[in-house]
Amino acid sequence: MNSGIKKTSIYKIISMVILVILAILFAFPLYWIVTGAFKTMASINATTPDWFPKEWVLDNFNKLFSRQTAPLWELGIPFSSKFSADGKPIIFTAGPVVPAAIRWLVNTVFMAVMAMILTCITSAMAGYALAKKRFKGQNLLFTLIVCAMALPKQVILIPLLREMSSLSLYNTVWAVIFPTVGWPFGVFLMKQFSEGVPGEMLEAARIDGAGEARTFVEIVVPMIKPGIGALAIFTFINSWNDYFMQLIMLNSTSKLTISLGIAKLQAENSTDFGLIMAGASLAAIPIITIFIMFQKYFTQGIAMGAVKG
Amino acid sequence: MARSSTVTSRSKVLVRRETRSAYLFLLPNMIFFVGFVVIPMILCIYTSFFDSTMGNDTKDVFIGFGNYVELWKDQIFLRALKNTFVIVLVSVPVVCVFSLWVSSAIYRLRGSILSTFRCIFYLPVVTGSVAVTVVWKWMFNNYYGIFNYVGKGVGLIDKNINWLGDEKFALWCIILILFTTSIGQPIVLYVSALGNVDTSLVEASEVDGANSFQQFWKIKWPLIMPTTLYILVITTINSFQCFALIQLLTSGGPNHSTDTVMYYIYYTAFKLYRYGYGNAMGVILAIFIALLSAVQFKLAKEK
Amino acid sequence: MKKKRMLALGLSIIMALSLTACGGGDNAEKQPAQETQETQKTQEAEPEAAPEADTAGDTAEAEGETEAAEGTDLSAAITLWTYPIGNWGDSATVESLVASFNQKYPNITVTVEYLDYTNGDDQVNTAIEGGQAPDLVMEGPERLVANWGARGLMVDLSDLFASEAGGEIYESVNSACKSSDGKYYEYPLCMVAHCMAINQNMFEAADAMQYLDAENHTWTTENFLKAVQAVYDSGQENVGAIYCSGQGGDQGTRAIINNLYSSTFTNAEHTAYTADTAENIKALETLYAQDGINFDASINGGEEITLFRNGTLAMSFCWNAAQQINSDNAAAGTTNNGDTILPMLFPSDDGKTELCGGIWGFGVFDNGDQTKIDAAKTFIDFICNDPDQVNESVKASTYFPVRPTLTGIYDGTETADTMNTFSTYFMPSMGDYYQVVPGWAEARTEWWNMLQRIGTGGDVATEVATFVENANAAAGAGQ
Repeated sequence: MNSGIKKTSIYKIISMVILVILAILFAFPLYWIVTGAFKTMASINATTPDWFPKEWVLDNFNKLFSRQTAPLWELGIPFSSKFSADGKPIIFTAGPVVPAAIRWLVNTVFMAVMAMILTCITSAMAGYALAKKRFKGQNLLFTLIVCAMALPKQVILIPLLREMSSLSLYNTVWAVIFPTVGWPFGVFLMKQFSEGVPGEMLEAARIDGAGEARTFVEIVVPMIKPGIGALAIFTFINSWNDYFMQLIMLNSTSKLTISLGIAKLQAENSTDFGLIMAGASLAAIPIITIFIMFQKYFTQGIAMGAVKG
Repeated sequence: MARSSTVTSRSKVLVRRETRSAYLFLLPNMIFFVGFVVIPMILCIYTSFFDSTMGNDTKDVFIGFGNYVELWKDQIFLRALKNTFVIVLVSVPVVCVFSLWVSSAIYRLRGSILSTFRCIFYLPVVTGSVAVTVVWKWMFNNYYGIFNYVGKGVGLIDKNINWLGDEKFALWCIILILFTTSIGQPIVLYVSALGNVDTSLVEASEVDGANSFQQFWKIKWPLIMPTTLYILVITTINSFQCFALIQLLTSGGPNHSTDTVMYYIYYTAFKLYRYGYGNAMGVILAIFIALLSAVQFKLAKEK
Repeated sequence: MKKKRMLALGLSIIMALSLTACGGGDNAEKQPAQETQETQKTQEAEPEAAPEADTAGDTAEAEGETEAAEGTDLSAAITLWTYPIGNWGDSATVESLVASFNQKYPNITVTVEYLDYTNGDDQVNTAIEGGQAPDLVMEGPERLVANWGARGLMVDLSDLFASEAGGEIYESVNSACKSSDGKYYEYPLCMVAHCMAINQNMFEAADAMQYLDAENHTWTTENFLKAVQAVYDSGQENVGAIYCSGQGGDQGTRAIINNLYSSTFTNAEHTAYTADTAENIKALETLYAQDGINFDASINGGEEITLFRNGTLAMSFCWNAAQQINSDNAAAGTTNNGDTILPMLFPSDDGKTELCGGIWGFGVFDNGDQTKIDAAKTFIDFICNDPDQVNESVKASTYFPVRPTLTGIYDGTETADTMNTFSTYFMPSMGDYYQVVPGWAEARTEWWNMLQRIGTGGDVATEVATFVENANAAAGAGQ
C-alpha cells in the first residue's frame, strides 16, 4: 500500500514536470510573437536569440501602422446591385481613415461574427427539422451532410471561385462567409442536440395552438441553447482561422483579413521579422484577451458540444 | 420507428403540413449548403472530365476519364495522397491520446491552476494558425532557428538541421505544428467530460479495490466515449483542413514531401493552370473523405 | 425576441430569392455590373475617406479639378497591381507617382495593390478566375507576355510602341515584349542585369580576394570554386545557397548554373528548353559536390538575401543594382554588421558571362471595358513616355531605362556612383532574354522542383532530363 502511494506520487511529479515543460513549449510561440513585436531590429537579427527584449520599442508597430490606409469600415450588401435603383451595389463606408492593419482586424471580426450568427440561426433551424420532422429525402439529406462534413474546401476551390465570380461576390467578405455557413457540420451538431428535445413538449405546444415558428423559438431554442453556444464558438474560431477561403476569395488590401495580412507581410518583408511579429501580435492579442476574459463561457460552451456530439 | 406506423394513420393534410414546415426550416441552411457546397461539388465532378485551363480563348476539351487515368500515374499526386493520410492517421490518434493524458493529469487540480493549464494549451488555437506558423517558421530556420540553436547548445545535434528543407523532417515538423494547434479543444472537452464523471462511482470502485488503471478503463472510459467520438470527428476535420501550414512553411516541398492533396489541388490550379486535373483530384479526395466520415459515423452510431 | 427571429428568417428568405435570381442570370449581364461596382466603390469612398492607398493622390486630384482639368476628360477608375520592382513596391513612392499622374489626368482614379513574389502570381491568377483581374499590372515579359499574354488575357499595346518614345526602345527589349504572333503585351519601363554579390570582408579574411578581379567584378569558374573552398575552409560553414523553396529569385540559380560551364537554358529561337546539356549537368554536379554550397529547399531568393545581409551566407546569387543601394537595414552596400558587399558577375569558364536580365513594364488586362483600357494606356504613356515624368518613374524602380536617349538619370543623386558601376560593368553583360519561351510559368515551377530533387540526392542527369521533358511538355501545350 505504502509503495503504491509512493508510485502514484512519483508518477504525479513526473507528469507535472512534463506538463510544465509542455506548457512552456505551447506558450512559447505566443511569447515570442509578443516580445518580438517590441524588440529592436538588432535584437531580432541577433544570431544568439535575445530571450527577453533588452529595450522595448514601438518601432515595429509604427512601421506597421505607417503602411497603407483604409477607411475603418466598409460594407457592401450582397447582391444589392440586383435591386438597388441605379443597378449599383449598395456600399456603406464609415469611420475615419485608419492603418490597413486595423481595417484587417475589423474585417476579420465582422467576418467571424457574421459567419457565426448566420451559421447558428440556419443550422439550428435545419438541425431541428432533421431531428424532429419527417419528410421526403430526409435520409438522403442526412447522408449527404455526414459525407460532406469533413470535406476540405480545397476540393471545390475552382468551381467555388468561378461561382463567386459570376455572383459578383468575389473579393467581398461574403464570399468567405457563405461557404462557411453552408458547411454542414453545424447542422449535424444541431441535429444531435435537437434530438434531446422531448416530442411530448412539441406535441403539447401544438395542441396549445402554437405555430411552427413559435414552437421553435419558445421551446426548441431554449433547450438547445448550450449546443448553439458550442457551435457559435466553434464557428467563430474556425472562420477566424480559415486562412484558405480568405486567400482565395479576397485580394484588395482593404478587404484582407488579419491572417491574410500577416501572410502578406511575411511574403513582402521576409527580412523584417519585427514587423511581422507586430502584425501577428495585433492578430493574436485581441482574441486572446477575449478568450481569457470569457474563458469560463468558452470552455463551457465548447464542452457542451461534446455532451451530445 | 414508432412514428412511421403513426404516420399512416395521420391524415394526409397533417403529413403535408409537416413536410412543408420541415422544408421551410431547412430552407435557409439549404441555400448555403446547396449553393456553396453541393453545386460547386457537382461542377467539380463535371469539370473533372475536361481538360480545362485559364485563358480567354481556350475551350474546355472533353477527355472522359483522362484526368483520372493520369492521376493514378502521377507520382506526386500519389505521394500527396499518402501524405494526407499520414497526417490524418498520425495526428488524429496522437491528439486524442495525448489530450486525454493531459486532461486526466490536470482535471483534478485546483481551479486556477487548471484553468491556467487549459488556457495555455488552448492558446495556439486562438492565436490563429497564420500567426503561429510565422513563429514556427522562424524557430525551424536552418541558420538561426531556435531548434538548431538549442539543439546544438545542449549537444543534441552537432550540425544544423534544415528542418523544413529536409525530406526526412519536413512532414513531421508540419504534423508537430498541426498537433499544437489542434490539441486545445480536445483538452477542454476531456477536462469537462472527466469532471462530469460521477465521483460516487469512482469511490465505489476504490472501495472494491480497483487500481487506477481499472478505474479509468472500466468506469471513466465508457462515460467519456461520446466526447471521444466528438473529438475524433473534429480532429479529423481539422487535420484535413491543414493548408495554411503547408502553404506558408514549405509550399509542399522539399521535393513534394509535404504536399497534401489539398495543397496539390491549389498548386495544380494556380501554378500549373490545370483546372480539370485539379478538380479530378478533388473528386478523388472527396470520395475518400466521404467514405471515412461514413465509417466514423457508423462506428459512432453503434456505440 | 420572437420578432428578431422572424426578421432573421425573413432576411434569409430574401437572400435566398436574390441568390436564385442571380444564379439564373447569364454571365454577359454580370460583367458590367461587376465593373460598375468597382468604380462606384472608389468614387463613393472618396468624399468621406481616401481610397485605399491614395491620400496624396486625393489632394492632388482635388486641385486638378478646380483648375478645370487640363489633360483630358477621360474618366475612369482603374486598378494597378505592382510587383516589388525596386521602389514600385513601396506605397509612398507609388502614391507620389500616381499623384503626379492625377495632376494631369484628374479624372482617372488609380487604385494600387502591392504584390509579392511569393504569392503574387497566385493572387493574380485567382483574380483572373474570379473575374476581377487588375486593369494594369507591372511586371516582366515572363508573366505579361509568356503567361497571361499567351493565354489571350492581355491587350495588344502595339500603338504605344508606334509612338516616338516607343520607337527608341532597345531592339532586344522590344523583342522580349513581343509575343510569338507579333503582339506587344508589355510596354517596358526599366531593366537590369541580375548578378551576384560577395561579402568582401569574409573573402578577405579567408584570403580569397586573390581569386577575383575586384575592379572588373569578374572571375573564372576555377577561381570561383577555389574562392568558395577558401571561404569554407576559413570556418564559414555556409558560403552560398542554391535556394529552391519556390520560384522567387530563380534567375540567380539559373544564371550561376548556366554560366559556370557556359551553357544555355533555352534554344535561341525561344521555343524549347535545352537545359539538359552536359555543361549544365556538370555545373550542377560541381555545385552539389562543392563544400559550402547548400541546396536549400527551405528558402527562396528573398530569404537568401536576408541571410546574406545578416552574415549567415558569404555570397548571394540573387543580387542587382537595387539590392546594392538598398539601405533598409544598414548603409547601402554593406551587410547588417557593416561588411562591404561587392557585386560580382557570375563566374564563367570562357570569360563571357551572360547575365539574366530583368525587363519590367506594364501590361493591360482585357477586362472588356474600352474606357478602362484607354485609361490604362494613358497611364502607361504618362509614366513611361512623358519627358517630365519618365526619369522619376525609372528612378523609382532603381533600375535602368530601356531607351538610349534617357541618360544620366541618377546624376547628382547619392546612388550615382553605384549605378554607374552597374551600367559600366554589368549591363553590357546582359544576355539573351529567354524568359518568354511558351510554358514559362510551368517551367520555372519545374525548375525549383528539380533543384529540390537534386538537393535531396537525386541523380543530376536524370532530374535535369525530367525537368526538360516536363518543361517542354508545357511549352508544347502553350503553343
